Parts: sequence; C-alpha cells; structure tokens
Amino acid sequence: MHSILLKQELLSESEMDNETVINVEHVSKKYCKSLKKSMYYGAMDIGRNMLGLSSKSERLRNSEFWALNDISFEVKKGETLGIIGPNGSGKTTLLKLLNGIYWPDKGRITIKGGVGGLIELGAGFHPLLSGKENIYINAAILGMKKNEVDEKLDSILEFADIGDFINSPVRYYSSGMFVRLGFSIVVHSEPDIFLFDEVLAVGDIQFQTKCFRKLTDFKEMGKTIIIVTHDMQNIQKHTERVILLNRGSMCLLDTPKNATNKYLELMSGLHKVINTSDTGFTENTSEELLVNSKKQNKIGFGEDQCAERNNYNKNEFRYGSGSVQIVDFELLDDQRREISSVKSMDVVIFRTKVRFYRTVKKPIFGLIIKTKDGIELYGKNTLLDEANIKSHQEGSEVFVEYRINFNLQPGDYFLSAGIVEETSDGLLPLDRRHDLVHISVTPTDRSFGIVNMNTSMEVYNVVKE
Amino acid sequence: MKEIITIYEPDNSLKKGYLSIFSQIFIELKQNRWLTYQLFKRDFLSTYKQSFFGVMWAIILPLVSIGIFIVLNRSGILNIGDIGAPYSIYALLGMAFWQFFSTGLVACSNSLVNAGPMILKINFSKKSLVIAAAAKAIVPFIIQIMMVGVLFVGYGMAPNIMSLLIPIFVIPLILFTIGLGFFASLLNGVMRDIGNIISIFLTFMMFLTPVLYGKPRIGVLATLTKYNPLYYLVSVPRNLVLKGVILEWEGFLIVCLISVILFLGCLYAFHLTETRVAERI
Repeated sequence: MHSILLKQELLSESEMDNETVINVEHVSKKYCKSLKKSMYYGAMDIGRNMLGLSSKSERLRNSEFWALNDISFEVKKGETLGIIGPNGSGKTTLLKLLNGIYWPDKGRITIKGGVGGLIELGAGFHPLLSGKENIYINAAILGMKKNEVDEKLDSILEFADIGDFINSPVRYYSSGMFVRLGFSIVVHSEPDIFLFDEVLAVGDIQFQTKCFRKLTDFKEMGKTIIIVTHDMQNIQKHTERVILLNRGSMCLLDTPKNATNKYLELMSGLHKVINTSDTGFTENTSEELLVNSKKQNKIGFGEDQCAERNNYNKNEFRYGSGSVQIVDFELLDDQRREISSVKSMDVVIFRTKVRFYRTVKKPIFGLIIKTKDGIELYGKNTLLDEANIKSHQEGSEVFVEYRINFNLQPGDYFLSAGIVEETSDGLLPLDRRHDLVHISVTPTDRSFGIVNMNTSMEVYNVVKE
Repeated sequence: MKEIITIYEPDNSLKKGYLSIFSQIFIELKQNRWLTYQLFKRDFLSTYKQSFFGVMWAIILPLVSIGIFIVLNRSGILNIGDIGAPYSIYALLGMAFWQFFSTGLVACSNSLVNAGPMILKINFSKKSLVIAAAAKAIVPFIIQIMMVGVLFVGYGMAPNIMSLLIPIFVIPLILFTIGLGFFASLLNGVMRDIGNIISIFLTFMMFLTPVLYGKPRIGVLATLTKYNPLYYLVSVPRNLVLKGVILEWEGFLIVCLISVILFLGCLYAFHLTETRVAERI
C-alpha cells in the first residue's frame, strides 16, 4: 500500500508539471443506505479520526455501497469537460469531491488552483437579509476577501441586474433574481476551475444566454470548466470531452457525440449486453451496459438492406426492442429519382421501409436531422403531428416517407429515423437508428450560417419627394 | 507558476504529522477572519431582524430567572447564602457569565446542523461557523454587563477597579465554551440527540452551579461545586467585580489549564473530522 502511495506521489508531481489541473486517481466514494447506521458509522469514524487512527474507509460495512467506484481521469488547463449520466449515477457526488465538500474514501484527487462550485446558486443566502448583505456574506463563504468584494460590488450588481431590489430581503426576490444574484457572485469569485451542476438550466432565456456567454468568456480566458447536465445539446456545444457515469462507474470518456449517443442508448435501458467496445472501457461488466452496433444482429435485428445503400452511415447508432425494424431506406428527389447528395433548398424524399414483427397498436414514426457535430437541427414525428397512425399487424410492411425541404447550408448532415410504440407506460423504442443516413448538401447560392433562408436582396435609391 | 495544489484523499491530515496540523489550523483561522465575521453578522442580523424586542431578549430571560429566585428566597424556600453584595447585582453578573457559556454552547452545537444545506453545497472552513456561533453569545453578554452597570448606579455603588481585568478573566470561559462547542457541533452533526442532551445538561448545571446562589459550604453540593470547572469560570470573574479579589487561585488556574487543553484538543479533533461530518449532516 505504502509503495503504491509513493509511486502515485511521484507520478502526480511529474504530471502536475504539465498542463494538468485536475488529476483524479482511482477515486471511490461510499454512502450508507440506512440513516441509523450512517449515524453510528459517522460517530465511529469521527472517533477513530480523533484518536489519530485511520477510518479504514476503503472497506464497505453493512448497508454501505459505492456511490462512485474507481474513477480516474485528468483535466488539462483550459479544457471543458462534461459529465453526463442517468439520475443517481454519481455526477453530483463527483463534483462535490472535486470541490472538496466530501473526501474520497479511496484514491486521490489532486487539484491545481482554486475551485469554484456552482452546485446550487444562492446556497447560503439568508432570506431575511438584503441582497447587498448577502453578497458580502456569500462572497466571504466563496473565499473572497473584503477589498475584492468592495471592488467588484458594482460589477456584481450589474451582472445580477436586480435593480432596486438589492436592498430588500432576498426572500422577496423572484426565483430568477435569486439565481442571477447567486450566479453573479460565483462568477466574480474568479476561480481557476469552474464546476457547474445543472445550474445553467435555470432562469429565463435571457439569463441563460448570459450564462452561456459568460461560459464562453471563461473558455477564452483559459479557465477549466466542468459541466454536469442532462442537456445533450449544451454538452455538444460547449464541451470537448465527456464522461458518462452509470451507477457510480465510469462507462466512457469520449467525444461529446459518442458519449451522448451512449447515454441515449443507456437511457433506453432495453438491452442487457456485455460491452467490449473499442473505447477501452472493457472492465465495466455492468449489466445495463451498452450494445455495440456491430453486434446488433445477436439481439434480433434481421435482414437489413440499409447497409447496402450509398448514403448509409456505418457509424450509425441503433437501439430498440427490434420488434419493428427499419429494413431499408431511399433518398429521392421530387421527381422520385434516386439521389445521393442534395442541393441546398432542394426537396428530398426520405423513404424508409418498415417491417412489423409483431402487431403494434400505436406506432409513432419520426425523424431527426443533425449536424455532423450532433446538434439537432430539426425533429418531427407523427405524435407531434397528431397524425393518428393506425395499428399495424404482425408481418406487415410499410413505407414511411418524409418530404424534407433541405433549407440548409452546404455541409454534412445526418438523418435519424425511428419507430416508437406508445404504450400505457410511456414510449417504448422499437427501432431507433441515430445518424442512419449521411447526406451532403451542395451549394446553390453563396451565403453562410447553418440554414439557408433564401434571402433576396435589392438595393435602390431613396426617392426624394 | 504560483498555484495552490490541493490533494484530497482519505485520512489526509494523518499523513502530515501532528505539529504541522496545528500550524495549518491557525493559518486557516487567520485567513478566515473576515469569513468568520461575515458569518457572525449573518447569524446576528437574521436572529433579530424579524423580532420586536430584538436583542432585548438577552435581558428578559435572565431577569425572569432572577425574579423567580428572588421570590423563592423571600418565601424562605431557598437560602441564597452569604453573598456579600446586593442580590440582583450578584445574580445578574453571574447570569451574564453563565449565559455566555450556555447560549454559546447551544449556538455552537447547532451551528453545523443549521448550516447543513450550505455545507453540502460550498466548501468553506467550518471552524468559522462554530466560532461565529460562539461570538453570537458576546452581544447579550455585553448587554447584561451594561445592565449590571446600571444596577450599580441604582444602588449608588461602584464596581471594583479590578473589573477592568474582566476581558482577560473571561478568556478561559471563552476557550472552554468554544472547545466544548467544537466537540458538540461535531457530535450534533452526526446524532441530533446531542442537542437535547445539551439542553438538559445546561438546565441541570445551572441549578448545580452557584450562579444564582452563594457557594454552598456543606453537603453534596459543596463537594460538587469544588470539582465543577464552571463554578470557577463564573465566580472568579464575578468576585473580581464585586470584591476585587481572586479567592480560589489554585482552582482557577487548574480550570484555565483545562480550558486551554480542551480548546486545543477539540479544535484539533474538529479539524480532522470536519469534512467527514459534512457527509453525515
């Protein structure tokens, strides 16, 4: 044990010379399910610590479990890391460990620079005290010094934008004002490393925009940022690498696109498959781990013509029960001629062939168009359309045709198609094929951006009367 | 690059050695002076903001207790004993010291629990919370001392010149209170029973300690008083004000030593375990 520690010390010292600002080495954290036992264990641990004995935290006692298990990763200076995962997967616990609110029970976390946590905005505000009083108190708790707060007070007030209310008790604040003030103080505490826990999801659009602008500012200033969120769009847009947690274990550390795809699959929770994917996380034999798209034949996806098609994306990402399947697709122009690329502003008919392996009373068909970075540009399904699709019998085959106006700028796009069954318990994915079709848009006119709004321009003289 | 490197791992402090921990603790306390003050302000302002009598409650409670004792005494049920000073001055002065201890201890023991949500969201020095809670007891103490001054004027008497030494002679009391407070706040964080135990303990101790009556000369209570550190912490500064003398030097010195050891020991224990408590709150 001792030699391992020494080795780690040497290792982390040499690593800290580089640009690594956060180094998490085999960190585990346990919780106790029973409150009474937790009390008893707490008293024992404290007793042992007081006597100068080790609390032997690496062992699990009765009714304890690992909330985080053997997590290791590194974050470089200026990097933006996302953490995603289902509820209860340990995301917040991980943030709290990074912030030093909890201690790890195993392993070690090394952090270079000051950490600022936005785990909950306005935590520590006293409802009876005025906004201004709370600024000073909250800033002190966040580790700011008096002269710092004096200097930044105006800037804090300006960013929070709560006007005259600053002298009223925060109890009378709207939740938006409350959150804005909290955010403003944290932002002004200027740590080297920011931890965001879902906080970007609160507030109105204007505030959110402000938050994201600030986030971008931080990135430009070279600050390290860690974001926990359920919003896959934000993850795609703002992070460079993403950790996917599930039940306290690290499933994946990959690009935002791959991680969100895995997450979506995990959330569908349909398959019990052992994963040996190429991401290198082969140790995770958790039952609910993900399907590898290459092995899908084993779970009952039958004859599939899609792979033969020109525009088929072999990195598609497929999941679902398989009892209804998309077996083929075609891309046609409005004269119903087969195409493989499309000109900006053209109409594309995307036709999928769907086979029912069992009777489905309420099927829903849908499509999503994404950029190559995984940002969803457009989505539509028959549920949103309120098109009541009739029940389909076992063995039947249908065509589902989507007529799409491709008002997009030149570039690469992905079409996803899916079938979901509406049941009394909710929606059951039957076959979802994310990024099934790769389609290139070629230019028609010269403009820029994401969409082609087909703007015409005219310049003419002002006629004086 | 001048950046702080922080390492979190199990039993972090144990690996560093005892002496360096103490220097760490004092550096931390020094760095967090402003934080402590802000936390004190937060507690103080919020306690009295939505209250009509506000800080006057600091007087009301001891006056009621003293009133009951006067009634008991006049009815011959209770013998206050030889105190050598007007009873109301004697009692209020005693109550000032006693209440510093009791309100301080209660505030400290609740400090971590009350700040629970904050502790779970932000990483800051929890020692500041406890010290700020103890500091809350200073305000009523000062008001009570002022009240004693008023009584002196009322009786046409003057306090002994030695009263000026009071700030020095309450230091052991402060250390004793904060020391126990650190300990109580930790335990209360884990087990809420501690809060109840403390309030029962304080009620008992108030009657068992000669605060509102003179030092008993015979019986069980006399023996108990002899070994009661609180007796020395209350009566020595009180005698200083009333008579200008210190009657029980040896006892007081021993209690001073106990207070210092208690304070340092509990501070040390608190430092080692404050983060552990965070996850149990």
